[in-house]
Amino acid sequence: MKLVRRAALFAVLALGHSVPARAQALPSEPIAFADGRVTIGGDVSVSAGSEDTGFFNYTDYEHSALRLFHADLTTSIGMGGHFSLLGELSTENGDHPEAYALYLRIRPWIDRPFDIQAGRVPPTFGAFGRHVYSTDNPLIGYPLAYQYLTSLRADALPLNADELLSMRGRGWLSQFSLGNREPAAGLPLATAFRWDTGVQVHAAGAIVDATAAVTAGTVSNPLFKDDNSGRQIAGRVSVHPIAGLLLGASAARGPFVSSTAARGAVGDGHDGEFTQTALGGDVEYSHAYYLVRAEAVFSEWKVPAVGAPVINTPLRALGTYVEGRYKILPGLYVAGRVDHLGFNDVTGSLGPQTWDAPVTRIEIGAGYSIQRNLLLKVSCQRNTRDGGRVTRSTLGAVQLQFWL
Amino acid sequence: MITKTRRAAAIVIVGVAALMCLPPRAIVRGARNGAITGRVELRRVPAPVERRPNVADLGTPAASIDLSDRLTSVVYLDSAPRGAFEQVETPRAVMDQRGERFVPHVLAITTGTIVDFPNSDRIYHNVFSLSKTRQFDLGRYAAGHSKPVRFDRAGVVRVFCDIHSHMNAFILVFSHPFFSLTDNEGRYRLDNVPPGTYNVIAWNEGISSEARPVVVPDGGVAELDFMLR
Repeated sequence: MKLVRRAALFAVLALGHSVPARAQALPSEPIAFADGRVTIGGDVSVSAGSEDTGFFNYTDYEHSALRLFHADLTTSIGMGGHFSLLGELSTENGDHPEAYALYLRIRPWIDRPFDIQAGRVPPTFGAFGRHVYSTDNPLIGYPLAYQYLTSLRADALPLNADELLSMRGRGWLSQFSLGNREPAAGLPLATAFRWDTGVQVHAAGAIVDATAAVTAGTVSNPLFKDDNSGRQIAGRVSVHPIAGLLLGASAARGPFVSSTAARGAVGDGHDGEFTQTALGGDVEYSHAYYLVRAEAVFSEWKVPAVGAPVINTPLRALGTYVEGRYKILPGLYVAGRVDHLGFNDVTGSLGPQTWDAPVTRIEIGAGYSIQRNLLLKVSCQRNTRDGGRVTRSTLGAVQLQFWL
Repeated sequence: MITKTRRAAAIVIVGVAALMCLPPRAIVRGARNGAITGRVELRRVPAPVERRPNVADLGTPAASIDLSDRLTSVVYLDSAPRGAFEQVETPRAVMDQRGERFVPHVLAITTGTIVDFPNSDRIYHNVFSLSKTRQFDLGRYAAGHSKPVRFDRAGVVRVFCDIHSHMNAFILVFSHPFFSLTDNEGRYRLDNVPPGTYNVIAWNEGISSEARPVVVPDGGVAELDFMLR
């Protein structure tokens, strides 16, 4: 009830912004002042759906994407032609607002498409993490690679392979004996819900764009303040040879285990050895009324071999999805996504087994624009998992999204 | 007797009703057409639609704002003289997509007009409207391609791009030809208006003035200025 009241209050505040009478009833444009130097936009979405007892849709913030109130305010402050400050303040389920993004963008040469961004910067890796225009996610659920919580954690490590395998399918609340012993949510392959802190450079050409970044965290565990001695290096190249086609390749590597957890496992001075390496490939093609996207995210985490049976191989995971959207009428579309997340084998006392339970999700849905920036979505998803307390789950959800 | 009285009353009522249905002015047959000119002054220049502050951009987006578009107002007759609705052929108009903008930002047309929406950018655009006057979605198409839309109902149509949220435009569809777009100084001229009394309205970026009466003299020019916003 408290959540609903907060949602209603936010909606009233957002919609109550005074604008001249227009053909549409709700404001549809960002608020700009100081001669356009300051621009404020926002997003509000409310999702209501089935109870996700298998925790298939839980996010970094331990909230289900199917039962979520999300609100954010984004701001851009231009300071001459060379500098601008960008930020986003967001809250989920009425929690304390957090700075999702806050960075300074520097353009050294006004007429050259080369930028330096410093602060809490957008993800360099992958494609999905930057899809923030509300209609960019045609469904309510998120791709598994960017949302599903594996059992692996950055602040706690398994003593041996058996302990790791005992957490299969329990990424929403995993617990290990090295480092932080409190149960907590695990890591996705690459999170879409938190941004990293560091410096990013971006150059755009007629056909090729390139981005590189040095940040405090890793793609699965972005950080505001570094908790180990290493930095992540990430890069992305995208090519758009013809209108409507985008091909992208990304790579990232950096230590992901916190100094405290690494010290607890193997002593001081080793935290830089336990790295996450991620590789990604993505393609998007659109034409007329359809849009198709496919993306693959591969991640490899090196974890210390401590007790027997030892984890004698890096932990690997591969997330792949294909999604499509087709507009059938003005303001009405249908969409679908097929998604799979797989893991490599680790040998425990009972023999080899995938270190986390593979998951497959099929989601179909539709969206209807009540007005340009007020979108109603419905979706239904079928989740199957080879492990955990709940192995099959069919979930439905409705979402109302407003943006300006 | 009662029947006769009722019949007479009915004739009077029908006659009055018929007169009320006529355009609210007297048009002199054989008279020379006149014109209405004037200026629309904007107390405040409407701010251009800025891009949404997309914090996920990896670099500075291309600049694409042209303020002069926002100064364009439309002045039109609230209702037109009879005979103003005859059209010989289907008129055509163009609304280009150039530099991530619709050009022109304001287009005024008559009902039955076909508007072409060419894409002159290297990137995809997706023109659509959810306005009640005309709903359409042209899908995504590349540079060098164009798609047409016919507008058969009078009203205001807001046009957007599904890919670039800052792209927007207005199409004002009239059931008569008595409308005029202002120049950059706000001046307008409505030509070929038959002499008579009319109500005139000025419009700018979704804001309309009150309807103001004006008398167009035989072969002469009436002046009428507006203040908006």
